[in-house]
Parts: sequence; C-alpha cells; structure tokens
Amino acid sequence: MTKKIETDSLEIFAGEMEKVKDALPKKIVANPENVEKGLAKLVLTLIDLIRKLMEKQAMRRVDAGSLTEEEVERVGETLMKLENKMKELKEIFGLKDEELNINLGPLGDLM
Amino acid sequence: MNLYAYAIIDSTGGVEESIRGLLGAPVYTIPYRDIGIVVSDLKAQAQIKNEESVLKHEEVVEALMDRFTVLPMKSYTIFDKKEELLLKVKEHYEDFTENLDRVHNKHEFGIKIIWAGNVIRERIALAHKNENAPAGPGQPGAKFMKEKFEKYKIDKEFEEEADRCIAIVDGFLNRYVSEKKLEKLKTDNLLLSAVYLVDKEKRDDFKKAFKELKGSGGDLKYMISGPWPAYNFITLSRSGDGKSAATKGAQL
Repeated sequence: MTKKIETDSLEIFAGEMEKVKDALPKKIVANPENVEKGLAKLVLTLIDLIRKLMEKQAMRRVDAGSLTEEEVERVGETLMKLENKMKELKEIFGLKDEELNINLGPLGDLM
Repeated sequence: MNLYAYAIIDSTGGVEESIRGLLGAPVYTIPYRDIGIVVSDLKAQAQIKNEESVLKHEEVVEALMDRFTVLPMKSYTIFDKKEELLLKVKEHYEDFTENLDRVHNKHEFGIKIIWAGNVIRERIALAHKNENAPAGPGQPGAKFMKEKFEKYKIDKEFEEEADRCIAIVDGFLNRYVSEKKLEKLKTDNLLLSAVYLVDKEKRDDFKKAFKELKGSGGDLKYMISGPWPAYNFITLSRSGDGKSAATKGAQL
C-alpha cells in the first residue's frame, strides 16, 4: 500500500504546523512555588473568555445598528475599562495573552 | 508477560505471522465475539517509551490496514493479562462494532492548505483604512468601540474570504467522501486543515480530484497525506468507568 505525504512546500507546512503546536495551551501548573500564578491563569482565562464574548456581542450589535450613540459610549467605556484591568492583572501575574487558554481535550481549545 | 495492544480489527484471526511488533515480538489476534484485538507479548520490565516504539506501533497498524478494518489503539496500551484486556473489550464492544461498521472499507486522508493569509489580511485592512475617515476627538468609549469595530470588520471579512476559498476546495472533494472534519484558519496562513473519510473504491477518484484542485491555479499551497486508518473518525461514547466521553481513536 502506498502511503505518503505529498506536497511541494514541506518546509512551509512544517513551519505553519510548528506555529499551531506553539499555540497549544500549556497546562495549568500548580505547585507550592507557583500556585498563585497557576490559579490566576485559570481565573483570568475565564474572565478573558467572558470579556471577549461580551466584546463580540457588542460588535455584532454595532454591526446590526441596534445600539444608540449613548449605548455605544457606555458599552465602549465598560469594555475599555475591562480590557485595561485585564492588562494590569496580566502584568501583575506575569502572564502573556497566549497563555490565557485551556485545552479542553477532545473539545479543543477554549479560545 | 504483558500484552501490548495495537488495534481492534473486524476479524477474529487471519493476522499474518510475518508481522512483527514491538521488540520484534510476533503479532497475533485475541478474539472476542466477532472482533479481534491485535497484540504482541511484552516483558513486564521492557522499556518501550521511545520514538522507535511509536513508529513500530504505526507500522503494525498500517500493515493491518491492508486486510482489515482497523481501530488503532493509542500507543503504549498495555494490559497485565488477557482477562483484563477482554474485560475492557467487553465493556466497549458495542462502541467498537459501531465504529468498525462506520469506517468499514474506508480510509482517512488529510488535506492541509496554506494561503497568503497575512497578505490577504493586510489587503483587507488597507481597503478599510482607505474607506474610513480617521477617528476624530470624541467620547473615549465611542472611540474605543470604533477601533474595535474596525478590527471586527477586518476579521469578519477575512473569515468570509476563507469560507469562500474552503467552499471551493471542499466542492472538489466532497462528492467522494463519507465523512469529513474541516478546521478553518488554525493560523492566519493555514487556511484549511481537514480530514476526509474516503471509501476504498473512491480513493483514486478522491486523489484525482485533489490533483485537479491543485492544478487549478492560484497561490494556494497544498499537502495531502494518507491513506491512514480512520484516526479522526473513531468516537467512543463511553469511557471505561461509564462516564460519557468522546475520544479520538480507540483508547481503553
């Protein structure tokens, strides 16, 4: 039986697959030395997920034209403050954007 | 002596004696009702957690694929004794037979396609930049929303373009497949990462359609792999402890 991988651009595919591998979420590591950071990562991942969902929903509503100017200002201010607060918390716990994710096994990544 | 399991097959025997498994041990079948578990003996203290073992495992599975419908086991699936193995198979018997029926006479092909995602995103962003007036002084919330909305529109348009491309690609291949799983934009450049379950009889047609697709021009880069066992189309509905679980591949 012939079984092979066929491509004219093996290096390009290898490079891209490397990026996918790097994007895979790391484990939540909890041990006496970094339990605080491990928990912060878990909590901030969930908060960031909710923040992104809120943001996406807001964008959809703007796209549909269903928000008044006042509402846009109010929602925008809320999202902006939330984003700034997340930046502060990530700095405090030394976390990068790409670290805020969880692998849900067969379901894939959370974000 | 332990048992190292390679795969479940749709037969209670008939595995060629020439197939050698881990550490050169002969491979044989343990029958259970109308299916078989392909195993080889393994000394309890044998050190097998290495790349060579993984490749050997795959080699055995591929050799089995020639003659049987195969549900590959996860690497390093080891049982202390035959009774333990049979007990597990008994627990999952219905799952195994359902999956064997589903993937009977079918193989998996992987297709990956790269496009110039970065260039396309830049082009879309540029078009939006030209059509949008620069943000003037305004309320901070509204300004924030405007910036976010511009990014949202670029992302949306980028995804729509990806959807259009994928629909064209899938249109070439779809008629030859039983099942498929498509993943869009795992990275900005990796337009499509797909697995297709293809009937053995349609394998050549599928590959021909892929060649046509590849030869149809454009800046896309293509990769095809296979035929493989149906790794991505095997789903166990129950885990060993009775909890509900969806598992890729047969994992006891």
